[in-house]
Amino acid sequence: MIEFPRNAQHTIPSSQVKIIGLGGAGANMLDRVALDGMDGAEMLALNADVRTLTGSVAAERIQLGRNLTKGLGTGGDPDLGKKVTQEAEAEIRMAIKGRKIIFLCVGLGGGTGSGGAPIITRIAREEGAFVVVFATMPFAFEGQRRRDQAQTSLNELAVLSNALVVFDNNRMGELVLAKQGIHEAFQAGDRMISDSIKAVIRLVIRPGLIHVGLDELMTALRTTRSRCLFGSGVATGKDRAAKALSNALSSPLLDKGALLREAASVLVHICGGEDLTLYEIELLMQKLVKYVPAKAHVLFGAAIDESMKDALSITLISALPEEKLQQNPASPVAEEQPLMEPSVGFGFEEKAAEPEPEPVIESFSFAAPEPEPIPVLAPEPEEPTIVLEQENGPEGLVFDGWQKEEISAPELQPFAEPDHAGDAPAADFSSILEKPADPVAAAARDLREAMQQEDPMTEVWTSTPASEEPGASDVSDLLEKTRAKFKQNELLFEGGSRGRFSNTEPTLIDGDDLDIPPFLRKKKK
Amino acid sequence: MARAKIHVALEIGTSKVCMLVGEVKSDGSVKILGIGTAKSAGVRKGEICDYSKIRACVEEARHKAEESSDVEIGSVFLSVTGAHFVGMNNTGTYRLPDKEKQIRPEHLKEAEQIAKGVSIGEENVFLHTIPRHYRVDAFEHNSSPVGLFGKTLESDYHVVYGIGTRIQNSIKCARELQMEVDDVVFAPIATAQYALNRSERERGALLIDIGGGTTDYALYLNGAIAASGCIAAGGEHVTNDIHMLTELPFSKAEALKIREGDASGDQSRSVGGIKIPFDEKGFTHQEVKRELLNEVIRQRMLEILTLVKKRLPAGAIERLGTGIILSGGSSTMHGLDKLAYQVFGQSVYRAEKSEISGVQANFQDPQFATALGLIRYAQLADIEKMQKGGFLSKLWPFGRKS
Repeated sequence: MIEFPRNAQHTIPSSQVKIIGLGGAGANMLDRVALDGMDGAEMLALNADVRTLTGSVAAERIQLGRNLTKGLGTGGDPDLGKKVTQEAEAEIRMAIKGRKIIFLCVGLGGGTGSGGAPIITRIAREEGAFVVVFATMPFAFEGQRRRDQAQTSLNELAVLSNALVVFDNNRMGELVLAKQGIHEAFQAGDRMISDSIKAVIRLVIRPGLIHVGLDELMTALRTTRSRCLFGSGVATGKDRAAKALSNALSSPLLDKGALLREAASVLVHICGGEDLTLYEIELLMQKLVKYVPAKAHVLFGAAIDESMKDALSITLISALPEEKLQQNPASPVAEEQPLMEPSVGFGFEEKAAEPEPEPVIESFSFAAPEPEPIPVLAPEPEEPTIVLEQENGPEGLVFDGWQKEEISAPELQPFAEPDHAGDAPAADFSSILEKPADPVAAAARDLREAMQQEDPMTEVWTSTPASEEPGASDVSDLLEKTRAKFKQNELLFEGGSRGRFSNTEPTLIDGDDLDIPPFLRKKKK
Repeated sequence: MARAKIHVALEIGTSKVCMLVGEVKSDGSVKILGIGTAKSAGVRKGEICDYSKIRACVEEARHKAEESSDVEIGSVFLSVTGAHFVGMNNTGTYRLPDKEKQIRPEHLKEAEQIAKGVSIGEENVFLHTIPRHYRVDAFEHNSSPVGLFGKTLESDYHVVYGIGTRIQNSIKCARELQMEVDDVVFAPIATAQYALNRSERERGALLIDIGGGTTDYALYLNGAIAASGCIAAGGEHVTNDIHMLTELPFSKAEALKIREGDASGDQSRSVGGIKIPFDEKGFTHQEVKRELLNEVIRQRMLEILTLVKKRLPAGAIERLGTGIILSGGSSTMHGLDKLAYQVFGQSVYRAEKSEISGVQANFQDPQFATALGLIRYAQLADIEKMQKGGFLSKLWPFGRKS
């Protein structure tokens, strides 16, 4: 028999990978990666502050701003951060040369990190490397200025880097209990980042039996200006497949899997010891499919790594366009849309506007005989209003929508004014639009105020009166209707509903109905 | 002396029907042979409101219990609860006839009759008359004064009464399934048999059994029961509150209550939100603020505990030597012990006893406390019968004697 030795897993030598820690926070992350044992990969620490630089465990260190800051930090100034990085550009270029993948760990918001990261990313890209940036965003309490600095830098990085993984420090609270010490919180944050880095490295240098590699990684992350969705979980023992998956999904970056719902492509990489079975993979994928939209492109890979022993790790990587992420407290409408209308894909924003407004305007058209001014002017400001009413149904709230409506209300009048001068039907039309503007707008304002208090009930009543607005033919009629709605819902609040106990005899103690939540009763008093 | 005897406890609760088969061995130890539980339907606030539904549930529990214990269940001890039950203390004073100097059982019975002479309204019936203390010529006796010499016999009783028809309906439910009812016991009194031991009662203890639909309590001072009662609010109310305020479906609200809820009022536990992921059934993603959730739970629990506190006799809390003992399914709520401490200012324990053998999983859970207490009650009732040769069997074996 002839033996044909071959490397079934096509490993990339880890010497082609470099992990860079930039600034103080970056150094911390780097240390964590090093301490967790990332054998093989080269590490490079970059910092302007010599003290933290010397404390770093990285083998390679480059001091930034030798002449500019002379060993001190940049003091939170991103411009200075930029300059010191530029000063060391040649050195950095040398260090990066020839590497296939660069991981850049950086804490945004400060000087060195925010200023330097885009430049280093650019240098690395110029050297032909695939750049994955792991960035942390500052805490909210660090102030708006730092947040802005971080945001600016992040925007640049989103364009420059191949993949951007963002950890928001504000979400760190979800990793640990509020009672635990701050060092534990930071440790947990660092650990998560280190896990992510290791998982990506594992993926890239060990593409495995079922091959996924750089190319797939790029596919999964290929959306410009996107945020990386990332989750990785490791588990051992019985039922390890399910446990690993739930660990991966519990990553704050994934929002318990909710964000995956909108992903266009998902990369799944499973890595296990030699006892990894096909059945386990099957089981795992079956579970995962529930979290991923049916039409999403699932890039699947599996690898065997003896060092995993009896553990199984799963890594989920995907990307979402940035806007999508912000819009995320998603209204269910937006969530379902991609499934129903595959051709639309990820163009969102507009698609909600598409279906409804036309017919509504049609129904309006007692102004139809004289088409010039009205179809252009009058309905236009309304369009957003109508749209968001649709969205603002009882199911969910989109706050942007409310802002839009606020804008649309004052816009109405200037638009309507020329119509006034026009002719009779147009004047009618404008008067309808104008008059409700007073009482209804006032009501709406009240509602909006109430909504800011985040009462769960208000959602229901806010949308209903507003949606009445365009359809009603008479103002008094309209007011009648809205008034009726108000009463009904207030009644609900008064404690008419007792939920599950609505059919039982009330338990009255000292005049209190025990079946009504004390939370509501106390509030009322 | 006696051979092993098998007793069956039946508890028809708001959240579950529980049937427990226990064997009382000749040496007095109890072994749990089997257990059968079924999710309850048709019970609200501890009382049956849908007869046919609950019958199906009891039947299911019975099948399970029979299967796991390999015992054919013919008769049960039934626990009942509900807001209509009232526990009160009363004293019966009997002056012995001139010729007699020694107290005889008949005199004791007479005193009990006098104590029962309280007006309880047409529809009510007595469920328990538990002797607390006796006084013979104003001198305290803790055990039965039969045989002592004296002129006046005073006996304090704790009397529990409730609406007769409702109790009858519970009994009917068991009878229709061909099970005889050996005895009907007010739930907190049964639970106390299991959750409190003699020394705890001696020092003074308050048992609070927070179940699904009701919160039952029993107060023991100086070894004798001093107060008992029921408040028609429990874990199901918490779920309902969460449901009403978050608009989550009941199943999700229940899961949220159990997994995430915290009643302690600790700020640090109310940080952030809980994501409820979508599931296969099409439930859409939602987020609930921990602050809201915990506050809803806390308010409800606070109210329940405060109501219990209000109903206790004055000065009782200060006299508790042991403290508060929490039991029942809802007592597993996170942070409840802290809240109870805030309300009562006494040390708080959970009922965790293991004087009973059998499969551990069967009785470690506090939601089985009442059923276990019933077995214990049955055992004590048996002992009572045997010792007194049956002649005092109508007196419940409580107070110092237990």
